[in-house]
Amino acid sequence: MKKFTRILLTLGLILPMLVLSITIKAQKQIDDLKKEQDTLKENVTTLRDKISGVEERIATAEGDLAKLTKIKLSGYIQAQYMHYEAASAYPGNVFMLRRVRIKFQYEPINGVVFVLQPDFVPGNITLKDAYVQLNDRWLKTFSLWAGKFNRPNYEVEYSSSNREVPERSRVIRAIYPDERATGAKLEIAPPKIPLKIQLAVFNGNDGLTISDASGVNINPLNNDFDNHKDFMGRVTYTFKLGQIGALGIGAHGYYGKIKANTLDVLNSDYTYNRTNDDIGKLIKKNWVGFEAQLYFDFLGGLALKGEYIFGVNGTPGYTAKTTAVSGMTSSIKNDTLILTTLTTSTTNSRPAIEKNFSGYYVYLIKNIGKRHQIAARYDYYDPNTKVSSDQIGIAAYDAKIKTTVVDKFTYAGTDPVVATNAQVKTVVNNSLKSGTSDIKYQTITLAYTYFFDDNIKIMLGYEIPLNKKVGVNDKGVGNVTSAYTVNGITSVYDYSSVIKQNTLTLRLQVKF
Amino acid sequence: MKKLKTKFGMAAIVMIALFGFAFMPAPKKITVKGSDTMVILAQKWAEVYMKSHPEAVIQVTGGGSGTGISALINGATDICNSSRPMKQSEMDKLKDRYASLGIEIPCAKDGITIFLHESNPVKELTLKQLSNIFSGKTRNWKEVGGPDEDIKLYGRENSSGTYVFFKDQVVKTDYAASCQTLPGTAAVVNAVSKDKFGIGYGGAAYAAGVKHCAVKKDDKSPAYVADSETVKKGQYPITRYLYMYLRNRPTGEMKAYIDWILSPEGQKLVAAVGYFSVK
Repeated sequence: MKKFTRILLTLGLILPMLVLSITIKAQKQIDDLKKEQDTLKENVTTLRDKISGVEERIATAEGDLAKLTKIKLSGYIQAQYMHYEAASAYPGNVFMLRRVRIKFQYEPINGVVFVLQPDFVPGNITLKDAYVQLNDRWLKTFSLWAGKFNRPNYEVEYSSSNREVPERSRVIRAIYPDERATGAKLEIAPPKIPLKIQLAVFNGNDGLTISDASGVNINPLNNDFDNHKDFMGRVTYTFKLGQIGALGIGAHGYYGKIKANTLDVLNSDYTYNRTNDDIGKLIKKNWVGFEAQLYFDFLGGLALKGEYIFGVNGTPGYTAKTTAVSGMTSSIKNDTLILTTLTTSTTNSRPAIEKNFSGYYVYLIKNIGKRHQIAARYDYYDPNTKVSSDQIGIAAYDAKIKTTVVDKFTYAGTDPVVATNAQVKTVVNNSLKSGTSDIKYQTITLAYTYFFDDNIKIMLGYEIPLNKKVGVNDKGVGNVTSAYTVNGITSVYDYSSVIKQNTLTLRLQVKF
Repeated sequence: MKKLKTKFGMAAIVMIALFGFAFMPAPKKITVKGSDTMVILAQKWAEVYMKSHPEAVIQVTGGGSGTGISALINGATDICNSSRPMKQSEMDKLKDRYASLGIEIPCAKDGITIFLHESNPVKELTLKQLSNIFSGKTRNWKEVGGPDEDIKLYGRENSSGTYVFFKDQVVKTDYAASCQTLPGTAAVVNAVSKDKFGIGYGGAAYAAGVKHCAVKKDDKSPAYVADSETVKKGQYPITRYLYMYLRNRPTGEMKAYIDWILSPEGQKLVAAVGYFSVK
């Protein structure tokens, strides 16, 4: 019994101590856990702060990135080897950079676009596009352009980076030199209808060379040359032909005028038209064009595209006046000493001319698989429909006026009498003759393009320009000839035969 | 003249030889790329078709409608899936590059579904309210009959056809800067399912685990939830076609595959995935 009581007493002592010990241990663990919790809390707070910091940085970076997405950069480089078959070409084969373009596009807010596109061709850096485009954000139909941009015409607006042959057709190069013009344009393109209307107003002289008597371009910066503005309009509509393809049709018109820069104006056939009151009077630049593009799915894409343009294109002339005063001469007549001066006024003038022209081009394009494309183009350009090939070199306007005014005496003194005699002589040379600028051309262009991928393509193009033969004179020589000098040897092209001017182009294009 | 004739002759031979490429048999592998909305449908089609046509190899990837159309233009895919119609500018690129306007095949219908968290008391919204919410004009659920809490917006990236379609048809202006862009409708659904005050949009096929908000044209119109009947009848106000685009008319294996997609067998899968048949 005593033993049992002793065990109980011992247990009574040990158990509270055990409980106390466990309690102390548990309390310690709780304290440890609390400490850990506090540490964790601190860590979580630190991490949260760090995440907030990262989020803030991401938000800032996203803001910066969003700004960057408003800027678009694109462009292309065309490096090419050219072999010229024309005898006047020296060097006859060259490596060259045909186009080196970078297009910067910035859209700060939805619907407002700034575009800048310089061309970095070595030795001839030019600004191709520079315009602001305001797009209507509500109907998504209207857009207003202001600055320098492509004239509204199919072949002009069709990018050189996409064109299936190396260069544009001859008629387009003639009437739309440099493709771009400075002005404003309204585009109407309803989103649900394949209709596009473009109305534009331009200075009108972009890309034109306006020569003085010595052949120097008097307007190299292409500033506006007169107060008249030129108007252009183009309408296109595309018909879908089910799953077979599509047919696009359109028309464009150009209504413009340019300063004659001379008094006399000729008709297209070199007959006299009129005399202006002053050289600031205007000559016509009016034409219309009709276009069609047929896309047909025949074992891959097949396209037939063409345009016919005709109208009147005015070319300004020039008037250059020079005055020369001769030295004084003396003579004695009836006891009178006569002192004479002669002032010769010479006016070299080239009349302006309004030429009727016509031209067209037809493309046949076939895509073969994803990588190959073949294209053939036939284009025709008659820069003067009113002068037949036989008459080119003969049709001319030539007016020479020689006027001499004499004996305008002024007397002085009584004995001896001295007379001063002022003589004025006026010479006007005013002529213009038909020539190389009136020759009609048909040009055949063949091209093959291999697309390495979306960015790189290689094109082999061969252009065969064929001039229409002009008539020959009684000596058997063509009515139009032109001299050229290569390496000190002067030779002559006789346009009574077809002049060899073919060009081979091997072009590598990288687009980004 | 003789030389010219020889040159023409040579050019003709080269062109005829190149023309021959057109008749070469097309490879059997078909690549499909584009709309993320359509990716599960396209994968299902490919999977079922390859089972019954073991010789066919069909590779399907997403990336967004814009990405798919770019891939079609640059030749990186044979078929482009797009949840929006091709833009005129994209068609022009195709025309410039391939002398073709491309082939458009509507292959399914979809109702763009508005996703809400399951606990959100809001049951229906008008198109105007949706426009205001996603453009940031309406910022609190209280303004549209919900709790006094900020609205959290979830949407798609700008390469997505769903993004473009929803913007053009519903938002009609810029999305709010606070709209969080996510890669794919599945990601939008996932985000909304975890955010009590979130709202998102996307293809109907993905709408599991979230609440479908009924949509009405205006205050006076009845509200509809996107289902086969309301989409087919045109009652649900945000319906659209889902398209496949090709560069040219399909031939060979590709034609067989597309014919099968448009067949009752292929269209049955459209409904099975959660979209609506075009037939």
